[in-house]
Amino acid sequence: MRKVGIYLLVGVFFIVVFAGITQAATPEWWKQAAALYKGITIRGVSESTPPSKAVRDYAAREFEKLTGIKVQFELTSWDEMYTKSINDMSRGTGIYDFVYVEQDIIYAYLVKHWLTDLTELAKKYPQLDDPDFDINDFTTFINYFKDARGHVFGIPFEAFLKSYVYRKDLFSNPEIRAAFKSEYGWDLRPPKDWREYTQIAKFFTEWGKKKGIELYGHVAQAKTHPCVAYEMVESIWPAWGIYNWGINLKKWRATVENGGTLNSKRAKEALRWYVDMLKYAPPGVRTYTWDETAAVVGAGKIAQGLIYLENLPWVELDKSRSVVTGKIGVALPPTYPGVMSEAARGLGYIGYYDGGAFAIPRSSRKKQAAWLFIQWATRKQWAPKFAQLAGRICRKSTFNSPEIKELNVKLSGYYDMMKKFGFLFAGAPPLPMHRPLNELYLKWISKAVAGEVDPDTALDSLAKEVDKLLIDLGY
Amino acid sequence: MRTSQYKAWGLLAPTLVILFFIGLVPFLYVIYLSLFKYNIWSVRGMVFAGVDNFRKLMFDSSFMHSLGIGLTFVVITCSIETLLGLVIAIFLTNEFVGKGVFRTILTLPLAIAPITIGSIWVLMTNPDIGPLPYILHKFGIDYNIGVNAKQAFFTVVFMDIWHWTPFVTLTLLAGLTSFPKEPFEAAKVDGANKWQTLRYITLPLLTPVILTMLFIRVMDTFRIFDEVWMLTGGGPGTATRFVSIDVVRRVLVSTDYGYGSSMSVFLLYLTIVMCWLLLNIISITRKEVHER
Repeated sequence: MRKVGIYLLVGVFFIVVFAGITQAATPEWWKQAAALYKGITIRGVSESTPPSKAVRDYAAREFEKLTGIKVQFELTSWDEMYTKSINDMSRGTGIYDFVYVEQDIIYAYLVKHWLTDLTELAKKYPQLDDPDFDINDFTTFINYFKDARGHVFGIPFEAFLKSYVYRKDLFSNPEIRAAFKSEYGWDLRPPKDWREYTQIAKFFTEWGKKKGIELYGHVAQAKTHPCVAYEMVESIWPAWGIYNWGINLKKWRATVENGGTLNSKRAKEALRWYVDMLKYAPPGVRTYTWDETAAVVGAGKIAQGLIYLENLPWVELDKSRSVVTGKIGVALPPTYPGVMSEAARGLGYIGYYDGGAFAIPRSSRKKQAAWLFIQWATRKQWAPKFAQLAGRICRKSTFNSPEIKELNVKLSGYYDMMKKFGFLFAGAPPLPMHRPLNELYLKWISKAVAGEVDPDTALDSLAKEVDKLLIDLGY
Repeated sequence: MRTSQYKAWGLLAPTLVILFFIGLVPFLYVIYLSLFKYNIWSVRGMVFAGVDNFRKLMFDSSFMHSLGIGLTFVVITCSIETLLGLVIAIFLTNEFVGKGVFRTILTLPLAIAPITIGSIWVLMTNPDIGPLPYILHKFGIDYNIGVNAKQAFFTVVFMDIWHWTPFVTLTLLAGLTSFPKEPFEAAKVDGANKWQTLRYITLPLLTPVILTMLFIRVMDTFRIFDEVWMLTGGGPGTATRFVSIDVVRRVLVSTDYGYGSSMSVFLLYLTIVMCWLLLNIISITRKEVHER
């Protein structure tokens, strides 16, 4: 009897130890989990961005060494990426085994049933579930990649804000501060509303001219390119209190007459402001996309502006690319009176919470290997290193890591702002017809930016065309 | 006789099969799609529309605008390229020091891919760092293709002329060097001056070559895409939104496959009509040249 007890104890001990080994995602676990797929090649496509490059150059290479699964990760331009992945998924060709899904396109992919239900996949192949994966560790950003049942269709690997940046060195310069105060009667600081923002923009552009230096008080992504539409719908209009692209999501209409806000007085005021403000930006602003906007900030030509903060790490830290390292401050964007409190009460939002996830197309023939790779690329242990390389955070635990705490200080408290005020920002609204809509917004906003039509006419025409498109698409 | 016919068809068969799949099938598919309302984001799926897409096309001001600027672009670029190419080609028939170097430099743009041409011009015209705005500013010209629609359009015109005039020159030069010597010798004997020789001998002989070259250039300029896509993206506003850009945005970005297909079919029809006209003119002039 005593012997039996000892055997039992020893048995339990081995089970616990063995379970402990299998529960930890050790290199051995990855090798074992991937053993069946060793030698195969999985293919992915994404936009050529710092996080995607970090995944390709670090995560994918380590994964290949460890598991023997080869990863071909194609990085291309933003529009090319969509064309390739949509063509592949809509025709079911199965070229790609994992794709980048930006937050704003997920609704379209879900409606078309193009993505693999990862919750189901994890259930079906429990032997492939990284024991340390901890899905609850992801920030609320993962909610954008869930369907109505709460099933996950994409694992976030990047998330960041588009917000306000300013030159700390200029804002604290005594000569500038005195000149600004004497002109506008208030102390120079990040603006609270658009009136203050405009005054700062005007001041710095004139200051640059007066001093004979290349300095401007404003920057925008105003090229005839989808970016100009995104800037309006993601950043400018929300901060003016026009949400969901001006579309009434209950009625699926955009014109004021049909319950939308796209051609409302406020929306027109915001577009008029946007076009008018271009005079305070560099002369080439109408040729800028999101890339040039960040580049010109890094070149030290901009005193303030709204940029995608994925660029903040290199602008603030990389001396080989930026002449303003250590000089950039971050703050919440200015807003129209009342918008901030609306956002705080969950009735609106002040800017864009951008980011994306990795997903597996339903047409992929190597779903299991792709699932392993996605877990590897988004695993908790690598997240701080990844955040250092790419400046994105999508796991709660990453905020508390020593590396990120240190980085947060260098980035003027950006991660604190993201953690504390992230809820004021929002991803794109659930518009499955996002791409054709963007095309219409691009057409009319760029016409207004180019002066082909006045902003009011542009929005009246745009709102009508949006209503027509929505009707044509069956909404 | 019959055996040799079978043999000929047998040899042609692989090519015909390939042509059928890569030429005819996609073409028929595009015609088929053009008869439907089909956007992949539509909750209705594919809905048969008959010729409704074509009717809509005729009243689409945006498409007509693209067509209008496209045709204007064709007329301006093809005329200037032909004139300039002819002058340079005639100039190159003479012997002069450095002719080889000149010809090499002249043909360099031809060796560059259109997308690279677009990138080069993006840098040259950038209002912040480009040399063109800087130089023109010295002459009091405020040059900014992100703002000024006319400047954007004529920059694209200039870029196309710079890129393709060498092709026109080489084609015409090939024509000029292939002429028989007799008519020129006879003209000399008759005391014709250089202008008379050019007007009454060179140009009539060269007309079929000019028309053939125009045939190619008209089709190419009408379909211009890469350079403009890189340089202006169709902007500012819709100032350089040529038909190809309009079709690409409609099909690939808006994913409006039905309407986009009807645009493609209509453009193909238009190109065929233009080419048919040119071909007729070519055959008539050839006949006239031979009769002379």
